[in-house]
Amino acid sequence: MSEITIEGVRHLYKPARGKPVLALDDVSLEIAPREFIALLGPSGCGKSTLLYMIGGFLPVETGSIRVNGKKVEGPGPERGIVFQHFALFPWKTVKQNVLYGLERQALQRGEREARAQTFIDMVGLSGFEDAYPSQLSGGMKQRAAIARTLAIDPRILLMDEPFGALDAQTRHLMQDELLGIWRRSPKTVIFVTHDVQEAVYLAGRVAVMSARPGKIMDIVDIGLDKSDPDLQRSKAFADKVDQLWRLVRDEAIKAQQGRRPL
Amino acid sequence: MAGMSAPDTDTPGLAARIGHGLARWSLVIGLLLLWDILARSGSFTPFMLPSPESVAQRIWRDASNGDLPINMGLTLYRALTGFLIAALLGVGTGLLITRSAAAAWFFDPIISVGFPMPKITFLPVIVLWLGFYDTAKISMVVFDAIFPAITGTIVGIRAVEKELLWSARNLGAKEREMLWQILLPAASPQIMTGLQVSLPIALIVAIVAEMLMGGYGIGGAMQQASSMADSRGVFAGIVEIAVVGWVLVKGMSLLRRRLLMWHPEAEAPSGV
Ligand SMILES: Nc1ncnc2c1ncn2[C@@H]1O[C@H](COP(=O)(O)OP(=O)(O)OP(=O)(O)O)[C@@H](O)[C@H]1O
Ligand SMILES: [Mg+2]
Repeated sequence: MSEITIEGVRHLYKPARGKPVLALDDVSLEIAPREFIALLGPSGCGKSTLLYMIGGFLPVETGSIRVNGKKVEGPGPERGIVFQHFALFPWKTVKQNVLYGLERQALQRGEREARAQTFIDMVGLSGFEDAYPSQLSGGMKQRAAIARTLAIDPRILLMDEPFGALDAQTRHLMQDELLGIWRRSPKTVIFVTHDVQEAVYLAGRVAVMSARPGKIMDIVDIGLDKSDPDLQRSKAFADKVDQLWRLVRDEAIKAQQGRRPL
Repeated sequence: MAGMSAPDTDTPGLAARIGHGLARWSLVIGLLLLWDILARSGSFTPFMLPSPESVAQRIWRDASNGDLPINMGLTLYRALTGFLIAALLGVGTGLLITRSAAAAWFFDPIISVGFPMPKITFLPVIVLWLGFYDTAKISMVVFDAIFPAITGTIVGIRAVEKELLWSARNLGAKEREMLWQILLPAASPQIMTGLQVSLPIALIVAIVAEMLMGGYGIGGAMQQASSMADSRGVFAGIVEIAVVGWVLVKGMSLLRRRLLMWHPEAEAPSGV
């Protein structure tokens, strides 16, 4: 049985001024429990929009989204999200940001503190516990946001280009941390990315979205042995990257031309 | 070793600091000097332009015989009480307007008409209704100082990014926690800006109301001095108001720095 069922979802943005924008059109997707799925697609194709809808932040007006059979009707801490633009609380320090979600769970004070510290250390922000977001670099903010979401231990992780602001080195470390967490604890991960390599490295399946209005164009099974330390240098890996790259490139070109009729 | 080279890079020496302070205040000092020179030049009578020295003596006399503390205390009481009421009502109204479309629809005309209007024109009406005493003066202050508080709050709340609210909800915040935990802190820079405009307005209106209505208070004392051709008394009032105004504005700006420590602006040099 699938954990998340998305059926015929459409989303039309109706800005106060200007034309309505059809961001998603007839998106359907089934995601199994403990699955790690990547959403790959050109800029502006509606990846964030889809994540917002699963997160319960945007209403589902056409179609339906169910989590374990229950219609999504609002946000909930079992679906933790890492926003593309971090959305840290700027008036709170890194530590206070990470504690915010933990304070809303039934935990002892000491337990909360320890948990917050564990995740701050994990994302490599030790020593910056008392820094405010305005004092951090883009990549550091992103890591603080990841720590804040991981700390509340959501069963479903919605991640919107969570490593987008990181350098290649840090990105690798964080990818491996994420895979480790996913292996150790039963989580379903929906991971938005632009990066084909990253999608192949992390995910079990990759859903490729079309240029706007976003649709699921293809779903590619990766089927690689993720525990192989030489995975990224293997032929099978390169083939998958190549296959996805072709799919994505065509869509990126369409997105650039931007002239698809509504 | 390291201690020897530190002073000229991090902390400027005492002389440099004093020099820096003098340069910053040079316009104010220059005006005082100009006043002194003009007063001594003989081209004005001491009645038209009393010397700074005689005005200082007058302030000292008023301070020691208790007139100044009473007048100053009353003026500050009216300005600050009015300011606090305006701040509470203003932020409250601003919140209401951003939270409810009906409230926005209802309050918009009165704010658009009321803000640019010189509120002091209502003084005769207020006097008719509320008399000459503190209620009338404080009402005038509230009436004038409330508008920047309202608009600051509206601008601040409207600028809060929706992702900030979403992420709080996602982390388990309840709907009723959002106001105090997310909306107000996120909007606090603009709210603070509104209040920083309200405070000097409160002082100005308190003094003008005192001048027009008479009675105790710095404005009243100046009005009385003027009607008795006591020019030193008038100039003393001007100097006193300048000092109080400076203290209030400075205090507010220090409060802002404390409250908004997290804001990138906190790194900027201190100012108004
Ligand atoms: N608030 C909004 N109002 C109107 N249109 C919007 C709004 N948010 C997004 N859109 C439109 O919806 C489309 C999808 O946006 P979305 O942010 O979901 O794209 P994305 O795939 O996440 O892009 P990126 O990879 O650049 O983050 C975009 O073309 C954008 O123009
Ligand atoms: Mg996006």
